[in-house]
Amino acid sequence: MSRLEAKKPSFCRSEPLTSERVRATLSVLKGIVTSCYGPAGRLKQLHNGLGGSVCTTSQSAALLANLPVTHPILKILTTSVQNHVSCFSDGGLFTAILCCNLVENVQRIGLTPTTVIKLNKQLLSLCTSYLKSEACGCRIPVNFSSTQILLCLVRSILTSKPACMLTTKEIDHISTLILRAFLLIIPENAQDHIILGKSIIVPLKRQRVIESTVLPGILIEISEVQLMKILPIKKSDSFKVALFCVSLSGDLSDTGEGNVVVSYGVSLENAVLDQLLNLGRQLVSDHVDLVLCQKVIHPSLKQFLRTHHVIAVDRVGVAVMEPLSKVTGTRPIGSLDSISPSSYGSVKDLCTAKFGFKHFFHIIPNEATVCSLLLCNRNDTAWDELKTRSEPEGILRDDGCTQTELQLITEAFCSALESLAGSLEHDGGEVLTDGKYGHFWSVQADSPSVVNWPDVLSRCGCGLYSSQEELSWSFLRSARLPFVPQTCLPCEATDSAGNLTLDCFTAKLSGLQVAVETANLILDLAYVIEDKN
Amino acid sequence: MAAPGSVRAALQVAEVLETVVSCCLGPEGRQVLCTKPTGEVLLSRDGGRLLKALHLEHPIARMMVACVSSHIRKTGDGAKTFIIFLCHLLRELHAITDKEKDSFFSENIQTHGRHWKNCCQWKFISQALLTFQTQILDYVMDHYLSRHFLSIFSSSTKERPLCRSSLEMLLGAYFCGRVGRNNHNFVSQLMCDYFFKCTACESGCEEVLELVDDCFVELKVGVTGLPVSDSRIIAGLVLPRDFSVYCPADGDIRIVIVIETIQPPFSTFGSEFILNSEAQFRTSQFWITERTKAIMKYLQKQNVKLLLSTVKQPDLVIYCAGLNGISVVECLSSEELSLIQRVIGLAPFVLSQASSQYEPSNTAMVKFCKPFILRSKRYVHLGLISTCSFTPHCIVLCGPVQGLVEQHQDALHGAFKMLRQLFKDLDLNYVTQASDQNCTSSPLIYKNSRESNDLPEIVNGSIQRPYQDTVVKNKDELAKTQTYLKAYSNLVVPSVELETNILCSTPTVTLTATYQTDATLRCFSPNKARIMDDHEPFIESNSANSTTENTRREISYENLQVTKNARKGSILPVRDKSLEMCTSQSYCFSSVPAGCVLPVGGNFEILLHYYLLNYAKKCRQSEETMVSMIIANALLGVPKILYKSKKGNYSFPQIYIRALHALQTNQPMISNQTGLESVAGKYRLLTSVLQCLTNILTIDLVINIKRQPQEIYDQDSEEEL
Repeated sequence: MSRLEAKKPSFCRSEPLTSERVRATLSVLKGIVTSCYGPAGRLKQLHNGLGGSVCTTSQSAALLANLPVTHPILKILTTSVQNHVSCFSDGGLFTAILCCNLVENVQRIGLTPTTVIKLNKQLLSLCTSYLKSEACGCRIPVNFSSTQILLCLVRSILTSKPACMLTTKEIDHISTLILRAFLLIIPENAQDHIILGKSIIVPLKRQRVIESTVLPGILIEISEVQLMKILPIKKSDSFKVALFCVSLSGDLSDTGEGNVVVSYGVSLENAVLDQLLNLGRQLVSDHVDLVLCQKVIHPSLKQFLRTHHVIAVDRVGVAVMEPLSKVTGTRPIGSLDSISPSSYGSVKDLCTAKFGFKHFFHIIPNEATVCSLLLCNRNDTAWDELKTRSEPEGILRDDGCTQTELQLITEAFCSALESLAGSLEHDGGEVLTDGKYGHFWSVQADSPSVVNWPDVLSRCGCGLYSSQEELSWSFLRSARLPFVPQTCLPCEATDSAGNLTLDCFTAKLSGLQVAVETANLILDLAYVIEDKN
Repeated sequence: MAAPGSVRAALQVAEVLETVVSCCLGPEGRQVLCTKPTGEVLLSRDGGRLLKALHLEHPIARMMVACVSSHIRKTGDGAKTFIIFLCHLLRELHAITDKEKDSFFSENIQTHGRHWKNCCQWKFISQALLTFQTQILDYVMDHYLSRHFLSIFSSSTKERPLCRSSLEMLLGAYFCGRVGRNNHNFVSQLMCDYFFKCTACESGCEEVLELVDDCFVELKVGVTGLPVSDSRIIAGLVLPRDFSVYCPADGDIRIVIVIETIQPPFSTFGSEFILNSEAQFRTSQFWITERTKAIMKYLQKQNVKLLLSTVKQPDLVIYCAGLNGISVVECLSSEELSLIQRVIGLAPFVLSQASSQYEPSNTAMVKFCKPFILRSKRYVHLGLISTCSFTPHCIVLCGPVQGLVEQHQDALHGAFKMLRQLFKDLDLNYVTQASDQNCTSSPLIYKNSRESNDLPEIVNGSIQRPYQDTVVKNKDELAKTQTYLKAYSNLVVPSVELETNILCSTPTVTLTATYQTDATLRCFSPNKARIMDDHEPFIESNSANSTTENTRREISYENLQVTKNARKGSILPVRDKSLEMCTSQSYCFSSVPAGCVLPVGGNFEILLHYYLLNYAKKCRQSEETMVSMIIANALLGVPKILYKSKKGNYSFPQIYIRALHALQTNQPMISNQTGLESVAGKYRLLTSVLQCLTNILTIDLVINIKRQPQEIYDQDSEEEL
């Protein structure tokens, strides 16, 4: 018998932000996330000293998930960043840094929270309306007929993750693969509302990165023993497929709530097996070439099918059921007795393949929007890092892609966010901004702090502008004249620039909003009540 | 360990609670972060939630929290004002007792005796409070306050067309106090849009509010990780699960609801299925398959395109549904089912009907049924065609963290509760006393009541009729009370105290005594009066003996029921009174009409304060004057906190003086705030606080029991004394 424990009273603290401890932890967190940000960001190693894996990362999702936070205020901050990342899988560090900065700055200014929250809201609405407006010069429309900009986007995301430990060549290879996988899942006959297909990521460790590849169709991993049993596949134009979601193992299905009494000598197993073999006969007479089953197929049925030159693959799992039925055009069969001919589907080709030390059964569809992305890497940590990085194409997918144009934002623009832009420079260098476009320029630390800027600077941070143009540079954080950014972006500039650094516009915009909202929430707190039970 | 219950202790507790809640009050209020041991964080400005999250230990504090939460459950608003008002009332009472303390000392009574005397004095005050609540408050509301009321309806015709701008002002003011500063405009706009989209016709407001209040959890979808500004309203119903089978369908879409598996089982519960041969097994399986197919075929013939099931259907059913072009949604919760049934009025499909050839009536039309993707999670989106005045819409609530989404959800739910209360008439009834004849009759009652102690059987028998439902419960307890009263009178208490005690409660006694109209019952009326009187000490005895909240709440609830009955009963004597001419009282019945509002910013409090002071001046009885003064002064506490941060012309004294001047010269009061609040809500709050205060005052002893809390609280805990 369980005893009722009296609840302990909660712990109540007023004005949580004023305490020194909170400020200290907040600035530590800020230090951690700031140093991770950008292509030149530093890696963090997380371990608990009691054994267990060591996580080496610089991305917010892995960092914040592994970082234990005790103070409720920090908990709010980190959960809000994590929620944002799970939505857009990009821009987590940006959100975290901006939020920390806002909270810290407000404390330094010493205004009342009421005023600050109002001001923040006002500034946020100014920023969002500017970013959404046509006048905004930092957006680049994506043209799906040319892969250049998309490739730049993928590459800049990969570049900002140093923990992947990829060489430039490998980055190029992987970003091409990711882009190809993304383009493969776009259906050919596009209507007004495009439903994108699915790309399945197949892990393959201890292989060279450069061996990663993209294949149309689905790869099903099978053991070597199973592979031996599969007969050589005969050449044909198309194969008829049956996909079962019901178990073919011969166990009795649910018998209801009452009792079932079986008389002596009656063998239900035999009856069910008979039923299974009947099913097999029907499949053979319907000229089915491939039988796939989510669950287990009875060995006798497997044997029977093999003798009739039907390939049987079982235990494919629930995860691939949906893509399988999409690829093959089958309807998952839930009956043992009679199968409607309309449930069968077909595939173009079948083959077995070996990648590394794993064997796969490869189903190649006629035309479908499903592809498999084989990702290889040398070690586990780097592979995990890489795997989570292949998600960004998910952003594009989740957005619905109703427009053929995706709005992208180039990095480092927004006068209110200058400290954030400053944090992109880690090598002790200085950050400059120009008076014409408001773009971001980085300088080596040891360069002479004098005169001829165009000699020192070659390209701006995003790579859109080169230093030939006559721009008036100034240090970020120094006093400078208010400037009006050039309104319209010349299209030729976009095309001519070779290597742009790009960011997803929707993720960034949402990150900006989430950061300001979270900061407002934290600033508005008057009490913290901790339930210690 | 026992500690004397005292106003001072209660005041200390209330002051601590006041500091916590007052920081969240009003438009300038701030947020509070609550963390749970499970690691969840919750943001809140909701007073009820905060008080619960504190897990208070102090018995009086726990009692206050219990009172607040029962009030919140009914009205959905006013937890913070509750605490502040209660605190100010206690402060006023404390001030008064402090003044009178000198006289106590001069009398030089023993300490123990003084404690009892104190208790009696508080009980005396609590009786006066009760009188105030039942008589003076309603009188003042009806006679003076009602002329200031505004209405959210644009005209007072039968249809009562709702004025959109008024509703916006009302909701704006409500959300000002409930959600974060940067979101309240957005949330109140969202709520307003939602309400008007859901209301098909003007007259169906109440039905819509009732349905939304009951099923709000099913009508919202929470999404984390997106900014709050992404929240929106979606036409139709969104169910948080994916289709088991989805077959795109256009045009005529019919749906059925099933509450059992379509595939017949081998055996049902409590029966046995005997298998004698393998052939029999095969045929029965064949029959099951054929039967399932037949049912699905039948459904297809009825043009059914969507099957909603409360249970998980077997693979065979899903497969057959897919073949017949029927989409399936499984595992609906009972709440979702009841919501759908309320909206479209569809009864579940009975499987045995499928074989018969009759045209079934258990299908309904929907506009559309399609998958809906929110943040890469799949939902089922149904365009139900409503048969009631509620047009189904869903709210998608977004926020960066779960805590914020929950806060908005709670605030919206509370707002619907508040509106629901607003759309009801509020009954007021009170007695205007023409003379003080009752006082002369009170000694008689007192004497009779002594006799009635010896005749508990008769007493119980005689009250059967007027109390109908409550009497069964109270029967035993009453008997106990009788004995208790005996013990009570044997105590150290001077008998004079007891007498005054009963004397002071005469207004209540006479009120209840007169409503029994039956001629046969009339002769027992002194007894009955006694019984009504008994309830007060009875409550006291219980509150003194048990420190547990549970029993407390139950008792106060019972007490409430009794007084409610008394009110209901009082409708009858109106015609009898003229015949018998036994009383010189006149009963008034009136009501605050539905939809009455006042501008925010302490208008209600200042108005009531002013009129109560006026009333107190006219009043002859000293205790009425005192209670009215106490309450009138305490009422000002809320506006004082609201205007605390304001300077100059908008500071509290300035506003107060202006308002009083306007009232004295009969000019309209000028309010500098845009926003409205419900009069009925304020009235209910006031009565709840007074009830809570009465309970606190009647406690004389707090006893700490060192036993583990038990699952079931036994009823006779008082016997352990």
